[in-house]
Amino acid sequence: MKIGMLSKKTTGMTGLMKEFFENAGHIVTIYTLKNLCINETLFENDFFILKSKKIIYIYAGHYLEKNNIPVIPNPNMIYNHKNRIEAHYLLKKAGLKLPEFYFGMVQTLQDRLKPSDFPLILKPIMGSGSRGVKKITSFDDLKPKNDQPLYLEKFIKGTHYLVYIIADEICILEKPPLSNEHVDMKEILINDNNKDIREVVMRWKTHYNLLFGHLDIVREYKTNKIYIVDPGSFPEFSNWRCDKNPAPKICNLILKRYEDLKLNNHKI
Amino acid sequence: MKKVKIGIIIDRYHLEEKVSEFLKYLKSIAEVSIYIEESYLLKSSNFSFDEDLFFVKGKRDLILALVKLIEKETVIPVINPYKGIWNAVHRFMNSVLLRDAGIPVPDFSLIPADYSPPFESYIIKNIIDQKQYKFKPNIEKRDGFIKVSDERALNEIKGGFYGDMENYQFLYYQKFIKSKWEYKVYIIGDKIYYYKQIPVVVNPNKMESRRKIDEIPELKELSFKAIETTGLKITSIDFLQNKNGQFYLTDINCTPNFNYIKNGPKIVGDYLLEQAKKG
Repeated sequence: MKIGMLSKKTTGMTGLMKEFFENAGHIVTIYTLKNLCINETLFENDFFILKSKKIIYIYAGHYLEKNNIPVIPNPNMIYNHKNRIEAHYLLKKAGLKLPEFYFGMVQTLQDRLKPSDFPLILKPIMGSGSRGVKKITSFDDLKPKNDQPLYLEKFIKGTHYLVYIIADEICILEKPPLSNEHVDMKEILINDNNKDIREVVMRWKTHYNLLFGHLDIVREYKTNKIYIVDPGSFPEFSNWRCDKNPAPKICNLILKRYEDLKLNNHKI
Repeated sequence: MKKVKIGIIIDRYHLEEKVSEFLKYLKSIAEVSIYIEESYLLKSSNFSFDEDLFFVKGKRDLILALVKLIEKETVIPVINPYKGIWNAVHRFMNSVLLRDAGIPVPDFSLIPADYSPPFESYIIKNIIDQKQYKFKPNIEKRDGFIKVSDERALNEIKGGFYGDMENYQFLYYQKFIKSKWEYKVYIIGDKIYYYKQIPVVVNPNKMESRRKIDEIPELKELSFKAIETTGLKITSIDFLQNKNGQFYLTDINCTPNFNYIKNGPKIVGDYLLEQAKKG
């Protein structure tokens, strides 16, 4: 088969997946931001893997789907992970607990927030992970950026976890607050004390029929409740500990989804 | 009897420049509340609205977020809905959707800025039409071909346009359709109004040549199909017609200036009232 990968990088998980598919006899083309032309030249591939959440790739995904080329994961779902407002309602619909958010221009936030609303977490409206994420502890930290409104979430005081999921396997890691996926993290063994984490993650996966992904979770000190602070659709799995290389598992899940999509006329 | 309450979700530019007559009329027939983008604090826990309907005049992120919140947390109708605004703002997406629905749109492509243009005659447009700047074309005519680039599009690749887009160097190309007239269709619910004008790339002062015209059945069919596809309820749509008589939809707008229609503010106000009463 000819497989297209929509990815900003050629290394990391993308590189591992390419290697796996090529070893299995497939032909893989990676479309980075340097060589991606969203036009009929893409149609030479049998299906696409949407690795990046950048809006250009999401456009490409929609374009391909409208032209009957399957895209995995689903571009709409990827966009909904990427946009904070969409992600909020995605998580809420799955019955998960979320921090409250505020969205407003700097002046409005300064006029309307109360000192008791702090601390807050500033996040880019389009984005996931830790890029552009910052703790805001007072009005002085609220700085205007290109006349854009700021998206802020209530900071939940608690233990931060990164939870990976691939099919029915999960991997729980304790992470430093606001850190990215790649920092050193402590693996947490799954036991009765954290079975609620597994429950939450499986609910998320099942509700949206996801193949894999991750959730950033905070267990609040005061209440012991679990808050979801960031969903991720296609992580690098750089801290995955269940086995050495998760790429084969991911690739096989994708191939299986592709077969299912073909059987179901591209709709699942 | 309780007066119908209509909420207006608007940015300051539209509030100050575009809707004074409309608001005056609307206030005479309904109770009106105004949510201004620049001074509204959107809070996820705050969704206790008592409006019967919301009307949106703006398309930036905070407005979109508020519309999303209303749609997710209440049953209050919003015109235009989130889906419609989103589809109108994302130019590449509306091209994809409209073509998929069988509506003729000029050939289009989204490619890295350092690649050769995919068409001999083309127009480069902004990818995300979310800011208030007007279309500002740079026109180059050479060897019988025309190359038009909207300054907004070129600025996008210089400065970024969508949160994380600053590293993006992409251009949206639309094949240029040579047309004697540019056709402008306004839709307000099930009402439709037709105008034509000399194409803006020929005469940037669009109002100078604009005239009202009779119904064109083909445009009517394409326009209603376009609003069904995008989810818009109030819109203006641009068409060009090639030498063979084929119409092409070139633009679809979610915040049309209905002041250009005779009695536009009244027509929109009456439509919103009717929709609010329907619930």
